[in-house]
Amino acid sequence: MSSPTPAEDEVPAIQTGPKGVINDWRKFKCEDQDTPPSKKALLRQISNPQSDDIHDRLNRKMSVQEYEMIAEEDEKGLRKYRKQCMKEMHERFSFGPTFDSVVELDNGEAFLEVIEKEHRLTLVVVHIYKDGVKGCEALNSCLDCLATEYPSIKFCRIEAAATGAGERFSDDVLPAMLVYKAGELLGNFLSMTQHLSEEFFAADIEAFLNEYGLLPEKEFVACPDEEEAAGVEVE
Amino acid sequence: MGEMEELRKEADNLKDQITEARKVVQDTTLQEAVAGTTLVGRVQLKTRKTLRGHLAKIYAMHWGTDTKLCVSASQDGKLIVWDTLTTNKVNAIPLKSSWVMTCAYAPSGNMVACGGLDNMCSIYNLKGKDGNVKVMRELAAHTGYLSCCRFLSDSEIITSSGDCTCILWDIETGTEKTIFAGHLGDCMSLAVSPDFKMFISGACDFTAKLWDIREATCRQTFSGHESDINAIGFFPNGNAVITGSDDATCKLYDLRADQELITYQDSGIMCGVTSLAPSLSGRLLLAGYDDFNVNIWDMLKAERVGVLAGHDNRVSCIGVSSDGMACCTGSWDSFLKIWN
Repeated sequence: MSSPTPAEDEVPAIQTGPKGVINDWRKFKCEDQDTPPSKKALLRQISNPQSDDIHDRLNRKMSVQEYEMIAEEDEKGLRKYRKQCMKEMHERFSFGPTFDSVVELDNGEAFLEVIEKEHRLTLVVVHIYKDGVKGCEALNSCLDCLATEYPSIKFCRIEAAATGAGERFSDDVLPAMLVYKAGELLGNFLSMTQHLSEEFFAADIEAFLNEYGLLPEKEFVACPDEEEAAGVEVE
Repeated sequence: MGEMEELRKEADNLKDQITEARKVVQDTTLQEAVAGTTLVGRVQLKTRKTLRGHLAKIYAMHWGTDTKLCVSASQDGKLIVWDTLTTNKVNAIPLKSSWVMTCAYAPSGNMVACGGLDNMCSIYNLKGKDGNVKVMRELAAHTGYLSCCRFLSDSEIITSSGDCTCILWDIETGTEKTIFAGHLGDCMSLAVSPDFKMFISGACDFTAKLWDIREATCRQTFSGHESDINAIGFFPNGNAVITGSDDATCKLYDLRADQELITYQDSGIMCGVTSLAPSLSGRLLLAGYDDFNVNIWDMLKAERVGVLAGHDNRVSCIGVSSDGMACCTGSWDSFLKIWN
């Protein structure tokens, strides 16, 4: 198990829902230059659940002092903060080992190991194939291609017979693609060829996995173009 | 001092009576009742549309009743009304405050509302005569943040707040019709019953309360959670309540039996639930967690049958359309996606 990155140690308590908004606001205020240091210290103390009066604060999420601090905010500072937020989130969820090619798994043990032992952020895509079954060879070359384009994903392949569960992977359900992350089965796609046209390419497999939200963003843009959104059209 | 003792004894006595009454009606458990049902197969949803236009984290979204339009609120200080079929933006409404926690679409489609750290619920008229969207009312009376709001009609809206109360407002006059007080902690979420006669609220006092809107009373209180309740929703037939909490579980409470039916939990899940949406039939429950994951639960068998978005850790809010045909997710990276 790899040691946690610094970012993981500072994970804020709750990031979604109304509490997520409160958290984001506190973080913004702490980082904003215009906030006086005394107020920053107060915010840090409040968001650190080690205070003695935790019993009083148990049910109330925002203190009186914080309500008073909510005033007109500097738009420029906010814009910078939003970009930073997204960049941090992206980094937190992108850190992990990288790979450069499809890994051939030789037997059932290797299969189990790759499912259970990979880094919790690494997506594992396993192609179960059999020589001679239609689509397997094509899918293998597609994955060879995708492996170079998505280095954070561990692409693997294993022959149906080698899995030790050959009966479950009969010819009619091959080629099959199983997708795992942190030991959990996220996607189970049997008879892949039924989802694809007669001739398919790496881009088709990429689009297929994207539809199920399984692929990471290839390029990360910290913030969509500001000018573009300023001229948002209204029907 | 004697009087306090008396009152305390009376309260304990009443609590015992309630516990007894609940035991009496419990003739079976949910697990026993569904023993013969098979588990729903693995659920794998596909992205059908991506809605692009916001510039920051999406905090909240709500479907319109026509199941075509939806409204989203983002940290970029905008409310955007989307046509989910064409992915076009129908309206882009700039807000005074970027710290918006909730947004709501009126059943008629004529208005949207939002609120957050400004302690106010702002109502916007989408169908103004000159085609522009303007603030129609600013409902200010809460002394805490606005965690959730839901329209009853074009003239009434209910809000829940960090000041521990919920308020029923008359939009026309901009004043409070009823104040629902009783929670001992910040109210985090509310949901209106399908018949619009009741609403439920979940709060940081670990309880959920069922309120009668007209009588202005609290009918039932549901406890059992070990931490704040962040999300709440009605089971589609209106006879049960679903709650999501910081204790990493969701619970199903039956209104008529006045007790918990089942808890949705997994030893592998350790972070709080912050949003939830049942499917139209009520068989599936989509629960959003504070680590941006969404788990799909089989509500009868209490087992996880899938994850949304392949665990790519991006979902900040979810909503299921009223016809059950699609679910919408908002993300920290500014995009919304439509899935089914």
